[in-house]
Amino acid sequence: MDVSELDATIHAGHAGMEESPYGIPSGKLAMWCFVLSDAVTFSAVLFAYGYLRIGSPDWSTPFTFVPSVLNGLVMTFVLLTSGLTMLAAVEAAKAGRTAAGTRWLWATCALGALFAGMHLMEWRHMIEEGWRLFQNPLGGSVEFGAAFFCITGLHLLHVLGGVCALAVIALGFHRQRYNSIDVEVLGIYWHFVDLVWMFVFPLVYLMNAR
Amino acid sequence: MSVQGAALGPGMKFFVAVWIALMCIVGVEVIVTYQHLPPRQLLVWLLLLAFLEAGVAAWYFMHLKYERAALTWSLLPALVFVVFMMDHIWPDAFRLASLRLLSH
Repeated sequence: MDVSELDATIHAGHAGMEESPYGIPSGKLAMWCFVLSDAVTFSAVLFAYGYLRIGSPDWSTPFTFVPSVLNGLVMTFVLLTSGLTMLAAVEAAKAGRTAAGTRWLWATCALGALFAGMHLMEWRHMIEEGWRLFQNPLGGSVEFGAAFFCITGLHLLHVLGGVCALAVIALGFHRQRYNSIDVEVLGIYWHFVDLVWMFVFPLVYLMNAR
Repeated sequence: MSVQGAALGPGMKFFVAVWIALMCIVGVEVIVTYQHLPPRQLLVWLLLLAFLEAGVAAWYFMHLKYERAALTWSLLPALVFVVFMMDHIWPDAFRLASLRLLSH
């Protein structure tokens, strides 16, 4: 079903189908519902971390400005910029500019992959320093490692999934297999990944800055 | 209003301005971090700024502003309710709130 048929179905009360109460395609509503449930998941994890952080008198604060906080800032810049390129892709797709939309999708994919690469490099740096899931080389609370790797790992998993989805949608959009609505639905997911990082960076990195 | 028309918003120049605003909020977060505040106070400030940043991103980047109000009113109260329940109503939250450790 292409965009114009979907439009007619949603707003014209096509026989056998009800008008959408939100005026959006079902795929978009489904993505919003998924984003809501995923937000609750991250909220639970971050709440638990918050209580652990505040309630532990020997919680470590290992992140110096250079390299950890600075690296986190660069990662934030990369992810926020990827949000902007995703917006450009959605705008181009809605305007019917397939080539531009595809280019912006690939740009978003590249920035997401860069973010993931930087994150893995940070993990390698932490592991080389002796940090593990339940090991603290500074001698403080061993739950720091579990909190750090689990929270950032869950977010990284979402980023990697998003990068794969971006590649699939970019290829499909270029071949006109997917339309602007598909791009927009993916955009909602990618902005959500960005939104989660807006909580992860201050709560995990800045709260543990030395 | 068409499907595409319902979600149309301003052009890219506006979104670049929003992007700059988001980077500024991140900058404020870093500045606040190095003011040597007590952990609880720092947590409150960072959470406030994070919620502001997330709200701006959801409103503009996720195009929530340009959708029907019914969508916002369906999603946000549900999220706020669940998060509130998670933090304040579960019996375990009372123990955690006073930071008593589990007895073994």
